[in-house]
Amino acid sequence: MTLYLSTNGPLHRLHPLTKLTWLLAVLAAALLGPSGWLPLGLFLVAWLLAAWGGVGRVWLGRNGRILLPLILMLFVIHGFFNPNGQTPLLTLWRLTLTQEGVAYAFLLSSRLATIVGAALLLLLTTHPGDLLTALTERGLPPALAYIISSTLYILPQMQSKATAILQAQQARGLETEGSLWRRARALLPLLAPLVLGALVDSEERAIALESRGFRVRGPKSSLVELPDSPGQRWLRAGLLLGILLLIGWRVWRLFA
Amino acid sequence: MALVRVTDLTYRYPQTAVPALQNVTFSVEPGEFVAVIGANDAGKSTLCYALTGYVPHFFHGQMDGSVQLAGLETRERPLPELVTLAGLVFQNPTTQMSGVRDTVRGEVGFGLENLGVPRAEMHTRIVEALAMTGTTELAERHPRELSGGQQQRVALAAMLAMRPQLLVLDEPTAQLDPVGSRELFAALQRLSRTGLTLVLATHKLEWAAAYADRLLLLHEGRLVQQGPPQALLTQPQLADWGIAPLPFTEAARQARDEGLWDAERPLPITLADAIVGFLEMRDTSKHF
Repeated sequence: MTLYLSTNGPLHRLHPLTKLTWLLAVLAAALLGPSGWLPLGLFLVAWLLAAWGGVGRVWLGRNGRILLPLILMLFVIHGFFNPNGQTPLLTLWRLTLTQEGVAYAFLLSSRLATIVGAALLLLLTTHPGDLLTALTERGLPPALAYIISSTLYILPQMQSKATAILQAQQARGLETEGSLWRRARALLPLLAPLVLGALVDSEERAIALESRGFRVRGPKSSLVELPDSPGQRWLRAGLLLGILLLIGWRVWRLFA
Repeated sequence: MALVRVTDLTYRYPQTAVPALQNVTFSVEPGEFVAVIGANDAGKSTLCYALTGYVPHFFHGQMDGSVQLAGLETRERPLPELVTLAGLVFQNPTTQMSGVRDTVRGEVGFGLENLGVPRAEMHTRIVEALAMTGTTELAERHPRELSGGQQQRVALAAMLAMRPQLLVLDEPTAQLDPVGSRELFAALQRLSRTGLTLVLATHKLEWAAAYADRLLLLHEGRLVQQGPPQALLTQPQLADWGIAPLPFTEAARQARDEGLWDAERPLPITLADAIVGFLEMRDTSKHF
């Protein structure tokens, strides 16, 4: 259910917080930095990093699947219907493509691509457990970390349970194929046992968590050691400083 | 000094009229292996929850009497303190997995992380717990991909790694096949030999008879009998308490009534004893 690719590339070996800080810096640059070609440049940097990290092809494929429909939609909506559009570029039937609309769609698309690309790079090269461990070590409440992790891990269990229930109900003659109405009617006999079963399981899981000392107070430890280095700490500090400078520059421009 | 001391325990779940446990009194000595038997709804699971503090802390309800664990009154101590003293393994292997670790090693280490055990010691404890439960070769597998029996042994390992003084198991083989059950009982036998105190609620009388030092028989929430397996499982009135006698014990009893089983010879409570007994009867009796 996670996007993580289990290889041992150079990006995989970086501390999760280094990659997370880089993502935050890219976010800040894309949203607060100068518009124009900067976001697109950051997208290309992410591509180069993905290729260097050994995940370039997967990164590109996933980006394409996520971004292409969204970007196409942005260009259609803003290109033809942006209320600020004044300069016609092209007229199709009664619809006019405007220069301002296209420019705005380009700006949004480049920002979106930059953010999605940077986030994908983090997710493809960082095990979710490692990221949460790193965040917990920096003060994230363990309960919150558990909620985030369990959401990622429990979904496959729910999927396999749903498949088992579907097969059991089909064996009893439930029709799950055919018209929309027939499929909708089949949902209740599937959802009811799934939801009720999940509720029953949740009590047992709560006991299981208690029995593993989940609510024991005091410092926690981690089985996984996340290698860090002075270089990465300096890099993170630099990126955080960059984010602060960007915010400051943006605020200064507001009042200048 | 007893590790567990239960005195006049009566417990009623919230919004129920009939108590799940009534006036139960017994104690468990350190290193003892006690099996709790009884029909469905006899109160076995509730007793397991009471020994580990989930009754009343997790399930609430009305509790009277006293449960002392390592000298501590469970009702007066917070649950997070009690879980460091007593571990609980229960029926469903799947829901016992934390759901947030993708290797068995990580799963076993999850409890240790919560206790703040230093990393080096964590590795030692995990290796030991996996070895004791025969799951060393599963260390790098995903818990979700294991069989029920393997998951149950991993759950056991996760508890052992936390080094509790008492380990309580609530029908851990209920959802396991015969192979999984045998593997789990073999692990329990190894643990018992290390001196760990075990309380096991089970329907599987033949296993309880083979491994437990003492049996507690619950019937409708009351502790009606307790004693060594030999004395308890050969009682003719077992069926009155909702327990089906072991088939080979019953066969030997009928053979004794027919004069085929030596009246001086104890009735068998394990299959091995029964086989030996019947073979000796065959060799010595003219009726065979």
